[in-house]
Amino acid sequence: MKAGLFIPCYVDALYPEVGVSAYKLLRSLGVEVFYPEKQTCCGQPMGNAGFQGKADKLVKNFDELFRGFDYVVAPSASCAAYVRLFHPRIAGHECEAAGKTVDMVEFLHDILKVKSLPARFPHKVSLHNSCHGVRELGLSSPSERNVPKFNKVRDLLEMVEGITVMEPERPDECCGFGGMFSIEEPGVSAKMGLDKLHRHMATGAEYITGPDSSCLMHMQGIAAKQDLPIKFIHVVQILSAGLQ
Amino acid sequence: MNPNQTKDTILGNLRRNVRETYEKPDLSFAKLEYQDAVAAFIHTATTAAGASVIEMKEGDDINDLIHSAYPNARTIASNVEGVKADRNPDKVEKPQQLDGTDVSVVLGTVACAENACVWIPQTMKERAVCFICEYLVIIVDRKNIVSNMHEAYARIEMPESGFGAFISGPSKTADIEQALVYGAQSFCGVTIILR
Amino acid sequence: MSTLHAKRANEFVKDTAVVDRHDATFWAVRSKRDKMAHEVPEWEELREAASRIKKHTVTHLADYLEMFAANAERNGVHVHWAKDAAEYNAIVLQILGDHGVRKVVKSKSMLTEECGLNDSLISNGIDVVETDLGERILQLLGVPPSHIVMPAIHITREQVLECFRGHGIIEKNGQQAADSMHGDLKKLVAEADPTFLTRCARYHLRDNFMTADCGMTGANFGIAATGEVVVCTNEGNADMSTSIPPLHIVSMGIEKLIPDYESMAVFQRLLARNGTGQPTTVYTSHFRKPRPGSEMHIILVDNGRSDILGNEDHWQTLKCMRCGACMNTCPVYRRSGGYSYTYFIPGPIGINLGMLKDSDVNYNNCSACSLCCSCDNVCPVKVDLSTQIYKWRQQLDSMHHADPMKKTMSEGMKVMFDHPGLYNAALRVAPLANSLPSWLTNIAMGAWCQGHDMPVFAKKSFHRIWKDGLKDE
Repeated sequence: MKAGLFIPCYVDALYPEVGVSAYKLLRSLGVEVFYPEKQTCCGQPMGNAGFQGKADKLVKNFDELFRGFDYVVAPSASCAAYVRLFHPRIAGHECEAAGKTVDMVEFLHDILKVKSLPARFPHKVSLHNSCHGVRELGLSSPSERNVPKFNKVRDLLEMVEGITVMEPERPDECCGFGGMFSIEEPGVSAKMGLDKLHRHMATGAEYITGPDSSCLMHMQGIAAKQDLPIKFIHVVQILSAGLQ
Repeated sequence: MNPNQTKDTILGNLRRNVRETYEKPDLSFAKLEYQDAVAAFIHTATTAAGASVIEMKEGDDINDLIHSAYPNARTIASNVEGVKADRNPDKVEKPQQLDGTDVSVVLGTVACAENACVWIPQTMKERAVCFICEYLVIIVDRKNIVSNMHEAYARIEMPESGFGAFISGPSKTADIEQALVYGAQSFCGVTIILR
Repeated sequence: MSTLHAKRANEFVKDTAVVDRHDATFWAVRSKRDKMAHEVPEWEELREAASRIKKHTVTHLADYLEMFAANAERNGVHVHWAKDAAEYNAIVLQILGDHGVRKVVKSKSMLTEECGLNDSLISNGIDVVETDLGERILQLLGVPPSHIVMPAIHITREQVLECFRGHGIIEKNGQQAADSMHGDLKKLVAEADPTFLTRCARYHLRDNFMTADCGMTGANFGIAATGEVVVCTNEGNADMSTSIPPLHIVSMGIEKLIPDYESMAVFQRLLARNGTGQPTTVYTSHFRKPRPGSEMHIILVDNGRSDILGNEDHWQTLKCMRCGACMNTCPVYRRSGGYSYTYFIPGPIGINLGMLKDSDVNYNNCSACSLCCSCDNVCPVKVDLSTQIYKWRQQLDSMHHADPMKKTMSEGMKVMFDHPGLYNAALRVAPLANSLPSWLTNIAMGAWCQGHDMPVFAKKSFHRIWKDGLKDE
């Protein structure tokens, strides 16, 4: 199986170790991984700011770079969701690559159907169910809906030896990042983030983990400013813990 | 303004602006059903709705039951046959004359277990009797309790008066600091007598 | 540079106690709503049914309106049509004038708020008394609602007491209120007891019900098959308003129609469960005919609705039944309060309705969304609220309301993301933001740094790590 690895811009620049973990984890599971070097961004920052038209060329480039693979895998729920749901709308037609784009959690849980992982992470973590993961990709059952409960991220984390997975009160309330929202509405955004941090910390966890580095970046920035004693780690880093 | 012209403008604009039409959906999906609708009704009425329920037994006297529920009532208003009342909503000249009623007694024709709604058709001259009192007594037959509102709407009949209301427990408000208070503008308490 | 919403919200969040109380209050309502949703096994089917019934009705609205009006007239009800707010207000004045009305008791109606009815009546010398407790408090305080279902939730009990005292209500009705609770007047006043204050309002309003010449209500639903309107309240104020005065005027937006009782059952089950987390409103009142010796009028109001039907992206806002669930769940509404928005309906549905009403003012609310999509999942009629907000943002530039900062940043991103060479060069030497103009990064980073520390850029990007050897592993 050939997978194109999509490392979104902010993972590339700020959290390259998440990309490395994703690559190694996929390889360890026998996936043939390709990384097209001309990739940049999913276009979401422009779209959320109201300028999705400025992402038209990027959308086209993305399709050309990635359409040859069986799957396009990204260690970022929000970016994967933007590609899958919004690229066809921007292009005005179905996009081959977008239709095959999945988040790492979906790829492991639904496509590879991983049943066990060799990882070990003897820590207590609080799971951050990010909005687009929950409500656009369906990584877990949204708390608003009367549907059977499930959580694919939790399912994967619980394969890790030694881990204790907690979820905060209000398990899928927004942390307030929202891309350009955090800059345009700084007061509300920071308040949402702080409230979320307190709920995560109330679980007694050492780490906040989630499938979206963007939410983690936002909360990490607030935690640093407020000097809050909590650590952050991407889900993929936990799932690959111990791999060479 | 010309009323007919306005009507034509609105309807014309609506017809022009429809691009795609949608069919009325099929509503035959399975609905909430209680094995024991009477028990479920009593539970909802006495919890969520905040009403009291009296189950009338063979040989019980309706006036005794009303008196036992509201022993301090001085003024009772009703047009229900067999209920001893001081005021009759059919006989008053103006609805204002019903103000100061302690207890009104009315008949309900359909009751719904899922939300404790009871359908009260206006079968009196002045329907103010149903709302103006301090406390309301609703008499309803056990056999008229259904599980859900789909069944309730299939069963209710609009009386000749052209008014009916589903009522579920006492008048409520939480407008001041979310504190739940019974007795906003209408009755402060409800007793349902199941016959 | 910031929108009005952002500016006001930045102020609102400064008082942590106020914002936390506001957030907790509405989260509690959302939680009650979730509990209700989980008690109904067919919940998701009900939502789908409600959405489809509304889609069906609004795309056959002209036919249903004709059916509704014909049936209502057959029932002895006077039916009026109003193209806009001005026509609507004129019709109300005409009816009131014909009947020599001097005092109106009014049950809560967002439509009258939309049309500015109260100001119109007051300037024509008519005494208007709001009878929903929350609305009455706001009317006496002279401030607008901050939520469509719980309009006065931001007012404290002490403020209510002060307001009632100022209007002589405590003096006039306090003793009767205390007696009804078998309580001590002085103690209840000292505690600003909510039950006591509610009872004061009860007897104060009772006097008004007795002496009003007209009762006005909105309509939660209009039933085409029978020509009747349905009004849902918890307080019973719509019933009090309409069972005593000799004139009943119903104000109804044309989108409130549904076909029949079978449809009504679906909406009755959803409205209160979503709005306040109760299994039903206390009163679900069906008005089909005037009371003997009195008159009933229904005014069907368009005020832009028939135009919305023609708007491909936003016509589904016509499905909205004003339950307020989208506000309660909105994390931005809960932390910015109703007054941060420029439209009288706040939250996700308010952002959309405000844009449809007047985009030159209400573009200011488009920033009030983190696109978390929670609103889409609570909405009982499945309005695609967040998608619509996203779409408004795409249109702001052509409306000349785009934020210049966001525009310049988006242009900068376009240049960089369209050119992988440039993008990688930027990553190699410095943070992403360095390739944008410095005045801009100062503003953007200035806003970011109000709440956050700066993100730390990695020494080597993933691209670099890949080239430097990862690809050969």
